[in-house]
Amino acid sequence: MSAFPWLSLVVFAPLVAALVLLFVPAGSRSTTRVVAIASTLVSLLGSLRVALGFDPAGGVQFRERYPLIESLGIALDLGVDGWGVSLLLLTSIIIFAGAFATWTLQERDKEFYILLLALVCGVFGVFVSLDLFVFFLFYEIAVLPMYLLIGIWGSTKKVAEAGPFRFLFRLLDVGGKEYAAMKLTLMLLLGSAFILLGILGMVDAAGGGSFSMEALASADLPRGLQLWAFPALWLGFGTLAGVFPFHTWSPDGHASAPTAVSMLHAGVLMKLGAFGVMRVGMVLLPEGAAAWAGVVGVVAVVNVVYGALSAMRQSDLKYIIAYSSVSHMGVVMLGAATLTVDGWNGAVFQMFAHGLMTGLFFALVGLVYERAHDREIGNMGGFAKAMPAVAVFFTIAGLSSLGMPGLAGFVAELLVFLGAWGGPMPWWALAGILGAWITAVYVLRAVRAIFWGQGPPERYTHLHDPRGPEWVALVVLAGCLILFGVAPRLILDDIDVATGEHLAPVTAVAAEQVTP
Amino acid sequence: MSLAAGPPLVAWLLLAAALFCVGVYGVLTRKNLVAILLSVELMANAVNLNLVALGRYQGELLGQAVALFGMALTVAEVGVGLAIVILVHRRRQGIDVDELSGLSG
Amino acid sequence: MTTLSLSLAVLGMPLACFVLLALAWPLRHAGRVAGWLSAGTAVASFAASAALLARVLGGQGPLTWTVPWLVHGGRTIAELGVHVDGISASMLAVVTLVAASVQVYSLGYMASEPKPDQGRYFAWHSLFIVAMGGLVLAPDLLQLFLAWELVGLCSYLLIGFYWTKPSAGRAAVKAFWVTKFADMGLLLGLVVLYGATGAFSFEQAAPDPVTTLVPALLFVGVMGKSAQVPLHIWLPDAMEGPTPVSALLHAATMVAAGVFLVVRAYPLFEAAPALLTFMAWLGAITALVAAVTAVVQDDIKKVLAYSTCSQLGYMVAALGSGSLLGGYFHLTTHAFFKALLFLGAGAAIHAVHSNSIHDMGGLWTKTRASAVLFIAGALALAGFPLFAGFFSKDLALEELAHAGHWGPLGLLLAAAGLTAFYMTRVVAIAFFGPPSEKAAHAHEAPATMLLPMAVLGLLAVGGGLSGGTLAGLWGQPYHFALTPVGIAATLVGLGGIGLGVLRYGTRSWTGDLLPGLRAFILSGPVDRFWLGAWRQGLLPVARAVGWFDRYVIDGLINLVGVAFLDAGRRVRALQTGRAQDYVLAVLLGVVAFVAWGVVGGAG
Repeated sequence: MSAFPWLSLVVFAPLVAALVLLFVPAGSRSTTRVVAIASTLVSLLGSLRVALGFDPAGGVQFRERYPLIESLGIALDLGVDGWGVSLLLLTSIIIFAGAFATWTLQERDKEFYILLLALVCGVFGVFVSLDLFVFFLFYEIAVLPMYLLIGIWGSTKKVAEAGPFRFLFRLLDVGGKEYAAMKLTLMLLLGSAFILLGILGMVDAAGGGSFSMEALASADLPRGLQLWAFPALWLGFGTLAGVFPFHTWSPDGHASAPTAVSMLHAGVLMKLGAFGVMRVGMVLLPEGAAAWAGVVGVVAVVNVVYGALSAMRQSDLKYIIAYSSVSHMGVVMLGAATLTVDGWNGAVFQMFAHGLMTGLFFALVGLVYERAHDREIGNMGGFAKAMPAVAVFFTIAGLSSLGMPGLAGFVAELLVFLGAWGGPMPWWALAGILGAWITAVYVLRAVRAIFWGQGPPERYTHLHDPRGPEWVALVVLAGCLILFGVAPRLILDDIDVATGEHLAPVTAVAAEQVTP
Repeated sequence: MSLAAGPPLVAWLLLAAALFCVGVYGVLTRKNLVAILLSVELMANAVNLNLVALGRYQGELLGQAVALFGMALTVAEVGVGLAIVILVHRRRQGIDVDELSGLSG
Repeated sequence: MTTLSLSLAVLGMPLACFVLLALAWPLRHAGRVAGWLSAGTAVASFAASAALLARVLGGQGPLTWTVPWLVHGGRTIAELGVHVDGISASMLAVVTLVAASVQVYSLGYMASEPKPDQGRYFAWHSLFIVAMGGLVLAPDLLQLFLAWELVGLCSYLLIGFYWTKPSAGRAAVKAFWVTKFADMGLLLGLVVLYGATGAFSFEQAAPDPVTTLVPALLFVGVMGKSAQVPLHIWLPDAMEGPTPVSALLHAATMVAAGVFLVVRAYPLFEAAPALLTFMAWLGAITALVAAVTAVVQDDIKKVLAYSTCSQLGYMVAALGSGSLLGGYFHLTTHAFFKALLFLGAGAAIHAVHSNSIHDMGGLWTKTRASAVLFIAGALALAGFPLFAGFFSKDLALEELAHAGHWGPLGLLLAAAGLTAFYMTRVVAIAFFGPPSEKAAHAHEAPATMLLPMAVLGLLAVGGGLSGGTLAGLWGQPYHFALTPVGIAATLVGLGGIGLGVLRYGTRSWTGDLLPGLRAFILSGPVDRFWLGAWRQGLLPVARAVGWFDRYVIDGLINLVGVAFLDAGRRVRALQTGRAQDYVLAVLLGVVAFVAWGVVGGAG
């Protein structure tokens, strides 16, 4: 255990920077960026320190505890286990890269960075909170700035009116950035309501004296409560994780959001949802998890295949990537639903790998969009001539998403499939593998449509490779994809230890149910 | 001071209630903002009357103190109210409340 | 040097070259320097693996060296490393030999490409050697799968080398999709195997309920990679890549990876006799179908591609008969002579700038040396007595007869005749046919191209003598003996050559046997089947799902939103905006509260 409050440093450095930025004059672009990037660098170094100093023996480490409301048992209780460490690292990598990916933003950049940094503080907080009240608080901090980030800096794209609900399109301005921001926020807030319900139910059943996860884990919550609280948490957190059919905020939201926001949202925020389902739902409510695992898994399978098929149909680059996130988050939930060691290891590793991959994807899409001012892949072709590096990085991201060995995505998918075969329903593995193949179909199709073929048409005269700081995001993210794909044990060992600790009560319950 | 001096308490309370009802009636029916403000004053004074009367019959000064305090507040309220009325008049060229339906859903 | 460091050097040198070329773009853009570097490491790699093979031939026992890669509850479940034994050492030598030859050849063949493209080409070639070496040396099925996917990636990248050409892009993507489609089976097989045994070993058969399932799933992957009917459709298209790529990846080494997998994981396959019979039949059908298709092609590379399919069918059928040596021997000789044929075809294409055999007419007089080498390769492929293909094909057929698979044997004999026929056709038209305009100014290939062809030519002629050595590595007896089956195969082959000479050489016979069949084959029936499945199956489903999501699921969510908006609009009518109404509401509220208090107090 370390005396220095490393976790507080990681969590609050972005918040401090956001406060500092309030006093920076609006016009000073470079100061704004230096402050923002410096704070994300502090977080990155801090989480690297935490990851390197993490004792492989496991358990909760780097503990800090500051009482907030003693009478209700609420405290700012921070600490990380193996899961938290890997996701902390992921978040700091993504935000560090994301801060660079927004380098060229012109309009109201100061406010943008302030909101972005506040959001990141929330994300960090969720991954290290051991107190459910604070956990929920950070969760909301992470979700809410998105409304402004998309509503102000987002982009609008018309959606053709059709289908049985065509009369709604004009009423809601479907496809507009305000629509996307509103839909995202409302759906996630509705999810939050379910989460709060579940949390309060748990705290109440445990005697109401404490919001501490450790206390709740040892409280032996009644079965009746577990059976309704788990689905509440699953739906609540699951909305953020893109669980079918509550995923529809994701394609519109990610397509409308500016680059860094998409990176952060698809790369990290969706993981908050999956992390919540696993860390709060499954670990604290083992009986509920065991009873509902079949449903969670089947829905996850739907996510994987349905998301991949939907991605295949898209012609808009951002929608393709957004639907691929829906599909890949299905892999996370599939791993979680298996309630096996390999499945859970794979689920957490997939959160990590998918975060890096989708972060890279959105960074690249941002670059392409910024130069071509178009997102329709049908209008593109031959871009590799003008922007070879973008083509290479895009291919790397695509290969990771379709499970190419040597990149992080493969390790995650392999582990999930291994777990799925040993889980409640072995055919899940088949569905997952099918999803990976469909991913290969749409990813390679996109690569070919965008980068291969004849030279760029005349109207794309401004295409060029990344310049200056834009390289940072690409190199960092692609480098991590390869590094953790070749040497997964850099984080897999820590994840594995935490999985062992968290899975024990669940398997105990599952064994009890099999042999009553 | 004799408690029996003057009319009985009930008379004072009835008078206050009547005054209050007149005020309510005025607030609900008058169109003119100044008249409504006057009616509100009537209601406030009805309350003050109650306070004074009850204070006297209880034999303590708190009622009168609160009534004085209330009157001071009422003065401030009238000041603000009349200022609003004047502003409304300047903006809208009239102080008919039926015209002021900006809150309508 | 120890055996371990030798085997690591085989992988390490090309890996270092790849990393260097990938990161140091000035070097990559220098073109020829990158080429010499890459070819140099490939040759060094071959030298190391030759030393390794010599050691194993000298009696060095098997060696396994691994590092843990994946954990499960603190226990290692997967390892990466090297496994050196007779099988992997000999295969590694074959792979690196062909790779080194092709690399040197590419120095000449690719010389006219733009410099950065050359750098890219050689970088990917180096990556391929690493991946293929990793596949051959894999200590367990998981590493084999990893490397399997990576060679698939190299294949995709190299087929798409001319990425501005739309047909090359389509071919690259098609190759990836089809092989990846088959790899779903392979991956599922691994998953099932792990579920049953907790490991990825290819040493022991899967336990009872999945004894047949696991190898069957693995074989689906083999069908894709080794281009067995009906998953062979990507291989002819893969000829869009540069010709040396076709020689190395799509003839000699990568497509043989499927056969190598079966050899390596034979304990698993052995436990599933029904699957072996299926393999014998499927291999034979593939051999015949591909041979028939090869006869009608005019593109020299397409002929060779279908021929590769066909020969892979021989290998699979031989493995299906239970003869590892039969499959593996043919793999080795095929690697030599087919690589040679492709390099020869490349030389011809280089000379006339066309793929069509009709444009090559009369090359015999222009490019004598490469023509001789090509004909040597063709004879080896046709199974001409004493050439390499003769011995290995003979062994494969005899093993089938030995196992009693008479049906597949008949198909393979027919395929042998067709093989001899179509190779004679190619040689007759391309080298001895009527002189074409394009061939008028043809020049002989440079030494960098001829030298590797000569090396492979020697092996194509004399490679058949390695049978005893290979068998020795496996601890199996091998003696060549001409049996009735062998005689029949030889006669069929000679007959095919004779018929070809009659038809295309002397033109004394010009009839078409089955004109309708020719049109049917050229229309690509298997391709059309998959295209139909794609156009009528997957695409509409994806379109429907995407539409459903956008307009039904999302529509329902929007409906909920609009329902709330509408409810709000209705409730809004209560807000009149008249202050007096609000006061009245307050008054009524107060009265109601007081009344409730009084009544409640009374009650």
